[in-house]
Amino acid sequence: MTRSARCPGRQLRLMTRREMLWELGGGLGGVALAAMLAEEGLLAATAPRGLHHRPKAKRVVQLFMSGGASQCDLFDYKPRLIRDHGKPWDVGQKVELFQSTPGHTMAAPWPWRQHGQCGKWLNECVAPLGQVVDHIAFIHNMVSKSNVHGPATFLQATGFVLPGFPAMGAWISYALGSENQNLPTFVVLPDPRGFAPNGPKNWGAGFLPARHQGTMIRPHFDEPIADLFPPQGSFATRGGDQAALQALEKLNRMHLESRQEDSRLEARIRSYELAAKMQLAAPEVLDISDEPQHVLDLYGVEAPNTPWDGPMNEGQETRYFGLNCLIARRLLERGVRFVQIWSGADNGFPRRNWDSHEDIRRDHWPLARAMARGAAALILDLHRRGLLEETIILWTTEFGRMPCSQGSKGRDHNPSVFTNWLAGGGIRGGVTYGPSDEWSFKPADPQRPTWGYDVHATVLHLLGIDHTRLTFRHNGIDRRLTDVHGHVIHEILA
Amino acid sequence: MRTQSRIVPWALPGFGWLVLTSMLVQPLKAQSSSPVDFTRDVAPILERYCVRCHSQQGAKEEVILDRASGLLESELELVVPGKPHESYLLDVVSPPEPSMPKDGPKLNAQQVEVLRRWIAQGAPWPKGMILEDRYVPDADWWAYRPLQSVKVPSVPEEYRHWVRTPVDAFVLRKLLQEGLRPSPEADRRTLIRRLYFDLLGLPPSYEEVQQFVHDPRPDAYERLVDRLLASPHYGERWARHWLDVAHYADTHGFDKDKVRRHAWPYRDYVIRAFNQDKPYGRFVMEQIAGDVLWPWDPDAVVAVGFLAAGPFDWVGQIEVRNGTMEKRRVRNLDRDDMVVTVFNTFLSTTVQCARCHNHKFDPVSQDEYYGLQAVFAGVDRAVRPYDPDPQVALTRWQLTQKRSRLAKQIENLQTQLAQQLPPEYHRIQKQISQLAQVPSGQSKPPEYGYHSRIEPTAECTKWVQVDLGRSEPIAAVVWVPCHDEFNGIGAGFGFPVRYRVQVSDDPQFRSATVLLDCTTEDQPNPGLVPQGVKLLRPIRARFVRVTATRLAHRRNDYIFALAELMVFDPKGKNLALGAPVIALDSIEAPPRWRRSNLTDGLYWGVRDSARLLQLVQLQHRLRELKARQHPKLRARLEQLRGELREVEQQLASLPSQQWVFAAATHFRPIGNFVPTHGRPRKVFVLRRGDVRQPLREAVPQSLQCFPWLPGKLELKDPQDEGQRRAALARWIAHPQNPLVWRSIVNRVWHYHFGRGLVDTPNDFGRMGSPPTHPELLDYLAVWFRDHGQSLKALHRMIVLSATYRQTSGVVGPEGKRAFGQDAQNRWLWRANRRRLEAEALRDAVLAVSGSLDRRMGGPGFRNFGFKDDHSPHYKYHEYDPHDLRTHRRSVYRFVVRSVPDPFMEVLDCADPSAVVARRNETLTPLQALSLLNNRFMLVMAQRWAEQLRKEHSTLEAQVQAAFRQGLQREPRAEELRVLVPLAREYGLEYVCRVIFNLNEFLFVD
Repeated sequence: MTRSARCPGRQLRLMTRREMLWELGGGLGGVALAAMLAEEGLLAATAPRGLHHRPKAKRVVQLFMSGGASQCDLFDYKPRLIRDHGKPWDVGQKVELFQSTPGHTMAAPWPWRQHGQCGKWLNECVAPLGQVVDHIAFIHNMVSKSNVHGPATFLQATGFVLPGFPAMGAWISYALGSENQNLPTFVVLPDPRGFAPNGPKNWGAGFLPARHQGTMIRPHFDEPIADLFPPQGSFATRGGDQAALQALEKLNRMHLESRQEDSRLEARIRSYELAAKMQLAAPEVLDISDEPQHVLDLYGVEAPNTPWDGPMNEGQETRYFGLNCLIARRLLERGVRFVQIWSGADNGFPRRNWDSHEDIRRDHWPLARAMARGAAALILDLHRRGLLEETIILWTTEFGRMPCSQGSKGRDHNPSVFTNWLAGGGIRGGVTYGPSDEWSFKPADPQRPTWGYDVHATVLHLLGIDHTRLTFRHNGIDRRLTDVHGHVIHEILA
Repeated sequence: MRTQSRIVPWALPGFGWLVLTSMLVQPLKAQSSSPVDFTRDVAPILERYCVRCHSQQGAKEEVILDRASGLLESELELVVPGKPHESYLLDVVSPPEPSMPKDGPKLNAQQVEVLRRWIAQGAPWPKGMILEDRYVPDADWWAYRPLQSVKVPSVPEEYRHWVRTPVDAFVLRKLLQEGLRPSPEADRRTLIRRLYFDLLGLPPSYEEVQQFVHDPRPDAYERLVDRLLASPHYGERWARHWLDVAHYADTHGFDKDKVRRHAWPYRDYVIRAFNQDKPYGRFVMEQIAGDVLWPWDPDAVVAVGFLAAGPFDWVGQIEVRNGTMEKRRVRNLDRDDMVVTVFNTFLSTTVQCARCHNHKFDPVSQDEYYGLQAVFAGVDRAVRPYDPDPQVALTRWQLTQKRSRLAKQIENLQTQLAQQLPPEYHRIQKQISQLAQVPSGQSKPPEYGYHSRIEPTAECTKWVQVDLGRSEPIAAVVWVPCHDEFNGIGAGFGFPVRYRVQVSDDPQFRSATVLLDCTTEDQPNPGLVPQGVKLLRPIRARFVRVTATRLAHRRNDYIFALAELMVFDPKGKNLALGAPVIALDSIEAPPRWRRSNLTDGLYWGVRDSARLLQLVQLQHRLRELKARQHPKLRARLEQLRGELREVEQQLASLPSQQWVFAAATHFRPIGNFVPTHGRPRKVFVLRRGDVRQPLREAVPQSLQCFPWLPGKLELKDPQDEGQRRAALARWIAHPQNPLVWRSIVNRVWHYHFGRGLVDTPNDFGRMGSPPTHPELLDYLAVWFRDHGQSLKALHRMIVLSATYRQTSGVVGPEGKRAFGQDAQNRWLWRANRRRLEAEALRDAVLAVSGSLDRRMGGPGFRNFGFKDDHSPHYKYHEYDPHDLRTHRRSVYRFVVRSVPDPFMEVLDCADPSAVVARRNETLTPLQALSLLNNRFMLVMAQRWAEQLRKEHSTLEAQVQAAFRQGLQREPRAEELRVLVPLAREYGLEYVCRVIFNLNEFLFVD
């Protein structure tokens, strides 16, 4: 690769035609109608060979643990922490923490055990993932640019610490378009309690056209998709809506007669047809009555309440996360390109996310158990259906937590080390890449950490996209998901 | 194409590179005469010509020329130490046909010779030295050239009747060059609709259309344009465009997306500025430095809301500790947003590209970029006060000026007096400090003393007093300062800067005897020396009070603290020991701090009562000496103090001020967010934009791209941040700055035609688009600059043109041919049909349905449910569109950064987190669903239907009226045949809803 290809300012302009389509206000002659519509991404021009090379996978599920999931309590096994538990934590340097000064060395509150053929050590709180651990590739030397939730979350979600940039799902929608015209390309399933830091900006389209933004589906809500149907109590009726759509089309066609050259007008007429199709397709995705009991049990969507010593309880968490995972599977099998599932809401009290400054045991247990069960179910279920090979599952969080305590039971932020894992299409299962140091404090080799850019580059690579060539001109710069960074992590590829 | 040729890498097959290892270890003996110095001679050449493309950061692979280690690890051959003729580097850069550098100027013979000699001398490279890219692209590019006074082209005879304004002559010449012809003028209904949406962002009423269509006057169109430009709705429409670029919002963004309650005064300022047709140069300068240039003008103060309009990292600024890397990162990005917003908006220049390296395409070096950051290094985004009433603002400004003048005079006089004190005074001072030495062996007791509550300002009155139980004869009072290491303060911690000591028999001190008044002059901090007064004749009193009138600084805040208060009777007994203490307020944090510590006899310092009384005696003598000094000067001092008090009273009696969120130097600190008080923070040039790698301190400056307008800022006091901004504002709005005038006329053109003459309105650099009509652009820029800089005049010039008035349709075979040749309409052979922006659409729905509340200004309406929290919740699904408060124009919508209004977002409204020069225009199924089903749309359809039923009795008449109001024309029979049955079967609401969804409603021909 060349120097020039790495700086976005120096990119060849790939998308001239796209920009013409979407950015011009004037008449657009000779342009394929389909180009105006939602189903087409850049891929349409080059399919089926992939945008830049042959893809290994077609779809992505991103599991985002908001608040900073603790790598050293979940996946990153460190005997040293168990040995030195309660002793002063001294790494021989001054440590700059977010809100505290380093306390004592602290082991995970629960035991560790080896799982799968690969013998990966997992903590009891994520033990359900043991059954699928041979599908998973772990990265333990992730680092972040920020130890503040907002910027760090942006970095994992959009590749930049500032607001205003497109989410990874938006980039992928822009690149590959949809496989199903009746559903959005990029779907987001937020934590039912509320939004993670930055809110919906985490799945915004930024400067990309608005159609690439994540569409929120909230299966736990009365109105899971905003504006899909007229609101309750309005004058609208089913019959009336059908008649209205017909009238609308007739009048729009009359209007079109003297304006044939403007393909946007026809495109808009078709957008109402697609909207009607979406009205049929979307409720069907959310209707899980056709799922057999063993599948419902697998995901735990009917898990009973299990009181715990905090405001969150494992049963409720399992139902939240499990249902989102099950809906994700239904979306994926219908061709949705990118599904983002959030665990953890805003940074309020009582805790409703992974930001366990106060008490790891109290807050991480219900979240971790629920996540492990739902994620394992999703991997198993996709595998059984033969979909795992073409679906990438990416587990992430904005940063990790310190190997020492903050006060007595909690941990402060650790942007210097955290864990990501991937599974599915094109991923080599059962491997661990990029170790952390003996404390799970920093990368074992601090000169060679793994960045979110690298993970993004790897996911794009598996989808047939060269991350350095997927660009969009905005305000004088050819922007990329990976900014001027990113290396594909070949070590975790199958 | 330029870009294409640039990305061809150096790594050609067979390219020989050599390792420098050997020469690092063992420089070969020089073969040429005078020795070459790497740092002085070689590095500048590599930095100027090579490093731009061949740095480790940039080049992943083989060709790394910015560091020795890069060469060490390379397996290629480039330089053979001691053997210039075998070194490939010399081959590629040497005349006559050098292949490198790929772009830009080549090395001259002298420079090649330097390299040759360096290699010959063993190519030594100082250990650890890393080179920087020093290449800055030149300013030889259309946008940076001076504005040209262009003559209006002559028009061929057959088109004389067509041309209406100079605009047309330029457009026509291009059209004819391209073999195209203008399209016919649009009909009047189309024109009035176009003008209304374009200038006001609202639809005309059916009646207004009819009036205009049937207006027989020859200047009907001009009259209409003038009427619209005079409408206050014009300012609302065009302010919204401006706010896109300024990226205005009513919340901070990021994680804790807090409400920004005082953002709206800036939004109202922009609306006012457009409506008043403020000269553009002034408009520009006000938004960069209005508070400095015209501090007495409230609008000029509110205008710097522009600098603060973008996101604010609440956690990073307020919670993250000062002195951390995280904090530096946050501040770097915060200033970046200011610099970028200013340069994108006013100059269409993408300085942001120079944050990590010199700009790759435009003449912006990293030093200049950080120089611009330095210009804004003295301001933060915070609330600042202003007087909405200009008269009050002026009075306050004058009084404030007077106050600082008086304070200065008083200070000078005091210094003068202090310098003229007699030798006895200094002798006594020495004596006092000897007497007051802390006895050896005494240690600081854990009971520090009394500590008031903490205040954000020093100007605050606090008191503490002891109760002796009954009226006693008092001969002396002594009060002792505290010691606390907090914030490194130590001795004299919390000791008031101004205070008085009184005694009284009334616990409220309604009548009291003043023993000592130190409230007119700041007192030097006494350290640990006990302070006191001695009375010539004892006074009887029960209560003794110390009142602080100016508090002591702590850390971004202010307090009053005392270790001990002692009251001696004539026999020298401390009557206050163990006496009860009361205070206005107190921090009770035993053992260190509590009221009772004030009379516990425990403090760090002299405790012997004889010595204490001796101290007091000497202090008394000092005061006497001072009072006797220069009676004339003393009197003058008193007079000045009197005047100052008067000014302060006048200031206090002015009406209270309002707040605006803007660039600010003085504000109340919150957590770790502390004002600069106008002293800029240090800014460094950062390697790769990384805060951990500062290279050198940045010098405040602007760009050096115009030889006739130096970017060096002339600053009398470079440490006065206001001067920095004022100088930059003058540079930007300078008549000879070509960018500022080209930028604004292009922006205005962009909003009128849907595409600018330069279709990258924020980027006139080499990565932007070149102008389609460069001469027209310069003509307009010069004309605008020299004719009052009136935006309204510019609008007039544009919308009165025949170019603007063309039909958007494709008319006849001529039109078809033009369409085939220029479908994008770059040459403006017709008008562009445009989809309504989110705001215009929402406003049109409100207007047509008879719901629009046209009241202007004030806090934004909230179309969401709100719950405050760590991170506040914004819940759009809880919005009730029946809420009349929300029926205002969309420019008054409360804009949330983190949770965008889904309805507006699906219609492509601007993302307030990004600088938006040009909106996207999308058409999606989700947009269709929103327009069909969003609660707002249904409620408005219903309200409209109710209105129609009130106004018209028959269903046919109601449908007809809906059509007229919605589309401002008469329905055709076939259209009624579709709508009337729909109304009959499903209700008039359905007709209203369908009209809202029509292409004709959404698009302006």
